[in-house]
Amino acid sequence: MATTTATITLSSADIQSDVLALTKQATLNKGGTTTGLEQTTGLNKVIYTATTNIVLLDSTVLGVGKAAKVYIANKSTDASEFVLITINAQIIGRLYAGDWMFIPWSQSDAAGNIELAPSVATALPVEYMMIHEGATQTSA
Amino acid sequence: MATTTAQLVITSTDLLSDSLSLSAIATLTNAGSATGITQTTGLGRTKSEATSAYTLYDGDAYPAASAHKIYIKNLSTTAAEYVIITANSEPIGRLYAGDWLFMPWSAHDDASDIKITPSVSSALTIEHMLFFES
Repeated sequence: MATTTATITLSSADIQSDVLALTKQATLNKGGTTTGLEQTTGLNKVIYTATTNIVLLDSTVLGVGKAAKVYIANKSTDASEFVLITINAQIIGRLYAGDWMFIPWSQSDAAGNIELAPSVATALPVEYMMIHEGATQTSA
Repeated sequence: MATTTAQLVITSTDLLSDSLSLSAIATLTNAGSATGITQTTGLGRTKSEATSAYTLYDGDAYPAASAHKIYIKNLSTTAAEYVIITANSEPIGRLYAGDWLFMPWSAHDDASDIKITPSVSSALTIEHMLFFES
């Protein structure tokens, strides 16, 4: 079993009158267990050159109801550029230049894909990674 | 203007044959600009005692097409306990005991509420925080 941790640190000295300094760590386990997740897509980097909505991660039977974790980062340096993240066609949010997200993904059903639509057709780099329990392999 | 940062570090020495040490840091800004987000709900704590869906953040209360950010952590210590996170009723994922999430939220329409549905009717506590623009 692998041991993988994800740590978030939220910091601000001036968003409120009390200093924000929150650090939390999660160990990435299979759903409902203390057994570590063992599979990953690896860290992908893709440069998008169209505004077409694309399937970033395809929901599969083996992933339904599981405890996959997904990391996505918009690596653009132009503040106005974003990627629109949707799950099963429902809008989650806009990931602007430099933003990242880290979410659980339970793949509610076969239609629960994570999709991404770049705001520009110029080269927009995105990094993403899934750490998961299993994914259905496509037959050749 | 406030300066708020969110840093992620993912590490593992045995998930792959190459050590994993991924770091990403974001400065939280208003949509499409370099101006820092200036508003927050503060860090909140909510205890549920039913398996009903709870509205954590109301899509009607925040402007659409924005760069809001949401942090949620399941504080349970029982591995089997989770909360289902939904946006506009679409399940995003199960946040198991000890897990956290950080994600953008566009609040694109009045129905795009962020809700949680606990897996148990015994006490289950989550912490949560929203950074938002007006």
